[in-house]
Amino acid sequence: MSTITKRVIQALNGDKVDRPPFICPGGMLNMVTTELMKKTDIYWPDAHMDEKSLAKLAIEVHKLTGIENLGVPFCMTVEAEAMGARVYMGTTDTEPRVIEYPLTQIIEWPKLQAIRQDRGRIGLVGDAVTRLSVSNIDAPVIANIIGPISLATSLIEPMIFFRALGKQPQQAHAFLSFLTDNLISYGRTLLQAGAQILTISDPSGTGDILGPRRFADFALPYINRILEELEGEYQACIVHICGGLHTILNEINQLKAQGISIDSNTSITAIHAALDNKVVVGNVSTHLLQNGDPDRVKAASLSCLRNGAAVLSPACGISTSTPVANLQAMAAAVSEYLPQG
Amino acid sequence: MSNNGEILQRLAQGVRDMEEDLVLESAKKALESNIPALKAINEGLVVGMNEAGRLYEEEEYFVPELLLCSDAMYAGMDILTPHLERTDDQNKYRAVIGVIEGDTHDIGKNLVKLMLEVAGFQVYDLGRDVPLANFVTGVKDHDAHLLCLSTLMSTTMDGMAEVISLLENDNLREKVTVLVGGGPISKAFADHIGADGYANNANGAVRVAQQLLNKKEVALR
Repeated sequence: MSTITKRVIQALNGDKVDRPPFICPGGMLNMVTTELMKKTDIYWPDAHMDEKSLAKLAIEVHKLTGIENLGVPFCMTVEAEAMGARVYMGTTDTEPRVIEYPLTQIIEWPKLQAIRQDRGRIGLVGDAVTRLSVSNIDAPVIANIIGPISLATSLIEPMIFFRALGKQPQQAHAFLSFLTDNLISYGRTLLQAGAQILTISDPSGTGDILGPRRFADFALPYINRILEELEGEYQACIVHICGGLHTILNEINQLKAQGISIDSNTSITAIHAALDNKVVVGNVSTHLLQNGDPDRVKAASLSCLRNGAAVLSPACGISTSTPVANLQAMAAAVSEYLPQG
Repeated sequence: MSNNGEILQRLAQGVRDMEEDLVLESAKKALESNIPALKAINEGLVVGMNEAGRLYEEEEYFVPELLLCSDAMYAGMDILTPHLERTDDQNKYRAVIGVIEGDTHDIGKNLVKLMLEVAGFQVYDLGRDVPLANFVTGVKDHDAHLLCLSTLMSTTMDGMAEVISLLENDNLREKVTVLVGGGPISKAFADHIGADGYANNANGAVRVAQQLLNKKEVALR
């Protein structure tokens, strides 16, 4: 294994490294900008529907910014589309999004189609991963999938789903269990295609939305089942949780992922102190990345690292109008950073 | 009298504790006991929903609980509203609300809408993934006092600034109070794009909206 790849994987597993890596996983945690699309002459939305473009864009983003990973896809709609949601592919500046849910009631979940190679963009993303993994580039390939609650709320109106957690908990569990099986099978496809790192982002399954009790009941066990069943197939894993984490610190500690990626409204210092044996990934503000200058971005990056981030990354998906120079400033920060002690 | 007080209390309790059956039963009792429908709504259902809102702000309740409370409240409303005497809606503040184009996440927007309604606003919901120009049309069509913009995605935040400049182009900016919110939004961002206010939760949004609108009214007097 070569230098960069090794460093990212070791850092995510909590091993000692010469310096912290800088990553931007992809998927919900978008890394593509308009400037990068212009430089590579590969544009959304067409890129979402072509494996060559997906792979090429991921490689060029890595080369032009100093982001130390490759990652696909560039949206969080692949799973839902394959299971029957209607997706609008977005524009050059906006990501694909679900525009029609296949379910109107939670009890209808058995009519959903399972994720399969030949459905939607599942095969295409797998092919993109294969291209990345044989590209001989020294950067690990990250497979991005969404978490079960986010998949559920891409298949049925979120308000109906969240009510069901209170009114039809048994049905909700059966639905989530089915979705988890499908996410495991999709995750396995991407890992077998050559991805080394698995990132699960669950923007709708947050402590802010669910609260600690329902997070423990409905989010934690399913994310853990994905991680457990795919253990041994990935070399490192990350779970990204949006929003504030202060209500669910106990539950985060029970996640079977070592890498915990956090949003900007959670303080690195607080989270670093509260978590046992986790690697904190984060959390430079995407607002700063979009509107700040490279000096400020670099200062913020160094401060993230000093406060306990072992892997540097943006706090969330970045805006497509983020200047490349600001991403390069993050890359400069990790190469200059001198770990204390 | 104490019997009526008890009925109002049960209405509030049913909403707060997400017990739709208790609300339905108490709403019927309120009508049987000749409690005016408006009083049953304001001193029963709304009291309960405000308590739910407080529990939400205190992080005792979260989104699922708040939705179940609102279901119980609306179940009571369905029984009581047909018995309302006609009210003068002219005095209500009118609010237009929606999620910026490119984003379909509307949980936060729905909660703000709910709490604005509880606070007595007339709310016009444009939905989610709303083309930016539609916000301006919405403000015009409903002669709105308040415009609430929401987004959860950092990729669609810029749309908020765009809506504000569209309002300026149409000379509507001074007329309408603009509130922004959602996952990636901060007070700093709200100030940066020239919004009037920011809140990080639904109850806070209502409070900020009321403060800003009252201030404006005082200034106009």
